[in-house]
Amino acid sequence: MTSMCEATTRAVPGAAVIEIRGEVDGSAAAVLTAAYKRAVEAGHAGGDADSEPGTVVLDFAAVDYINSTGIALIVSVLARARAERRKVVASGLSAHYREIFDITRLSDFIELFPDLDHAVSQLTRPAA
Amino acid sequence: MTHAVRPTPRRLDAFTLASEPGNERLALARVADSVADVGLEAARLERLKTAVAEATMNAIEHGNGNRPEIPVEVEVTQDGDDIIVAISDRGGVAHANSGDHEDPDLAKKLDGEQSPRGWGLFLIRNMVDAMDVTTDGHRHTIKLTMRTGGAAHDEHV
Repeated sequence: MTSMCEATTRAVPGAAVIEIRGEVDGSAAAVLTAAYKRAVEAGHAGGDADSEPGTVVLDFAAVDYINSTGIALIVSVLARARAERRKVVASGLSAHYREIFDITRLSDFIELFPDLDHAVSQLTRPAA
Repeated sequence: MTHAVRPTPRRLDAFTLASEPGNERLALARVADSVADVGLEAARLERLKTAVAEATMNAIEHGNGNRPEIPVEVEVTQDGDDIIVAISDRGGVAHANSGDHEDPDLAKKLDGEQSPRGWGLFLIRNMVDAMDVTTDGHRHTIKLTMRTGGAAHDEHV
């Protein structure tokens, strides 16, 4: 009944999108770590000397389960991104997991978007 | 003067699980099935499922040490407006369900002053209307209560 975590990365202007599928629990550690590394090393998240630090979008639209160990993994990704001066945003969370992001205060540090399209359009919108 | 008669508690389900990582998913699915007809609103059902999964994970890992031969026992009861899920292991007093841990502090975790982990009990407490822990010898039970008519921590919604 379990579905292993999978993650794919792709670039949008100024950001890397990590699309996560399945379950975010303890078994997702290697998958998420590798996806983050892939996204950053490929330059998808920007952040070179001439540009603003990049953004990492975590898309949870295809995630059906997040447990406390998964929350800890997200905290680790966020901590690493902050150390590298990268912004993290999230999209596609269900109402229940949005509530958990609020309770844990993850939403104080990770801007939440209802879906990936909203996140990408916000990130790629020209500065006023 | 008349007094309302409180109905006798009704057992909705009782089952055991092998103490293997991942079996918390079986627990949450079965508990969800057992309360399908009690009128628990969808958002509150999701909260109960998360609490059951976290409590079962703790029982498997910290209570029974991931030893499959030691079962985790789960009992679901309806007592009036209360849905009560009791999850028991053989961990005695000294494990993570004992409820006396410091709340996680995300800012400290991000600064490396706390481990990224340690969210389980915090989530449980915030998901249900009440959480009680009892220990009888080696038997350790966490009891989760969710009111069908109430609202657990609706200020978060």
